[in-house]
Amino acid sequence: MFLPAGSQDETGVQIANRLKASEIFRKVSEKRNFKAISTPVVEYAHTFTNEIAGMDLQSMLKWFNSEGEIEVLRPDWTAAVARAIAKQHQSFQKWSYQGSVFRMDKDGTENRQAGIEIVHADPFLGESECLLTAIQYLKEIGLEEYVIELGHTAIFEQIIKPLKLDLKEEEALRMAMHDKRMDLVEELLSNYPEEIKDALVQLIDAYGGSDVITHYEHVWANQPELLAILQHIRQLINLLEATGVSEVIVDLGRVKNLPYYDGIMFRGFVTTDGSTCFSGGRYDRLYKQFEQETSAVGLAFDVDQLALHMETKDSLTKACIIATPETHSIAEKYREDLPEDIVDIQYHVHNEAIYSAIYTVILDNNQYKVVKR
Amino acid sequence: MKPVIALTKGRLEKQFLQFFQYLDFEAEPLLDKGRKLQIETEQFSFFFAKGVDVTTYVENGIADLGVVGGDTLIEHKPDVYNLFPLPFGQCRMALATKADYSWPDRKNRIASTFTNITKDYFREKGESVDIIRLEGSVELAPILGLADAIVDIVETGTTLKENGLVIQDEFLSFSARLIANRSSLKVKRDQLVPVIERFKEGAKQR
Repeated sequence: MFLPAGSQDETGVQIANRLKASEIFRKVSEKRNFKAISTPVVEYAHTFTNEIAGMDLQSMLKWFNSEGEIEVLRPDWTAAVARAIAKQHQSFQKWSYQGSVFRMDKDGTENRQAGIEIVHADPFLGESECLLTAIQYLKEIGLEEYVIELGHTAIFEQIIKPLKLDLKEEEALRMAMHDKRMDLVEELLSNYPEEIKDALVQLIDAYGGSDVITHYEHVWANQPELLAILQHIRQLINLLEATGVSEVIVDLGRVKNLPYYDGIMFRGFVTTDGSTCFSGGRYDRLYKQFEQETSAVGLAFDVDQLALHMETKDSLTKACIIATPETHSIAEKYREDLPEDIVDIQYHVHNEAIYSAIYTVILDNNQYKVVKR
Repeated sequence: MKPVIALTKGRLEKQFLQFFQYLDFEAEPLLDKGRKLQIETEQFSFFFAKGVDVTTYVENGIADLGVVGGDTLIEHKPDVYNLFPLPFGQCRMALATKADYSWPDRKNRIASTFTNITKDYFREKGESVDIIRLEGSVELAPILGLADAIVDIVETGTTLKENGLVIQDEFLSFSARLIANRSSLKVKRDQLVPVIERFKEGAKQR
């Protein structure tokens, strides 16, 4: 029997690490006063493909139900949580979730996520709490070498505002910025004012440490909207650095990769191999579909990625008791004497090297006894 | 760790080496590499692969940077930073048929290695066609009657001419490009940015 492309079996350490990552997430989020929420795996496609959520139906796992409506396997948590909590009272809420998302455009079809959503909170408080939760969580699972990257959707949008591009042009330009494709940005803006074109071309390379912000504070000295964004980002960086994060970088040229992003965007990279361990941002817009003017921000961890980076070593010692069908019950009872160990009972041991201690059941004065070899 | 650069084997490889030497990088070990697929220089780790595989290695972070034909990027749309054109490997896409070919009065059959580019081209024109995917020697298809026309990459047009084919339309012009892995560019920026800048300057000068 075979597996479809993108599906995967899991065994042993992989599962243990993933469950451990989930358990630590549950504890960290609970301690920070997040309330757990779970939404169903099967939803209407419309929840994710509507004009505001704007996700691509093509990459979803989908089918028609008996009424002819398209249903999907949950492709995204944020839009699902927004749907679930939209009817609730509009007061400060912190939600945490854990579960799979299913997409065909990613490496594996099923991707396990753990994440948080903060709604109706002071914007800076919400963003800080998201990032600080991420930092605490990464610390508790033992992932130390990572970089946090900050970006902001409004930088690109503010710069192109005077161009009054139509939707198609704007999207083409956004994609070119997303790919950091210098020549295409130049080409798309060849009939527009030189200074805006140059500003965008330079923005492609505006990534790096906080010196990038310092530089752009000078460049945008006369543009209060952009300065306010820089100040906002700097304030977040100061907070993160004060809590001892090793490296925070910015990418001022980053554009939104999900249509509903609307403000600050964040992402965590594992330094050792560059994999993305979390991503998120602000998406107040998402709540507009429910006629709510509110503040909403969140982030999600890729739990599969985190599990790959966790220590694989077993922390418990492994013991083996060699028994026979007659002495199996004696060996079973002896487990109680080894509460801290992983205990295996075998009738024959083929590979003694995998155990740190071996016990046998012997007959001594007509009494069974377990002795260490 | 040194930056890892994936290079496209074949035609682009030689042109890249000339450009690389022009930029005054150490290229000695690359020049007489024989059949080796991996080469180390003082500054970089290089490996050689087919164009589309270069994009796969870069997308998955095995290579930090890659040099690949623009055709491959348009056809396969890998999730990488598609930085800028390099001053070599200039090509165009062309639609070609046999000389004096009269299109039959039915849905046309187009042979190509670049099935996505072909699909997009005819979609843009508002025409439905059937696309036949071929791995190489695409010029044979119209001559042997497998297809009405081909969509293929042309540099000078000599191959088409020698096989009795005529260009009906030219679209998309591109060259080799420098691509980068999305997170490498950020995480290894201190190492990569100076290299990228040198490539960028060199590309402007040539």
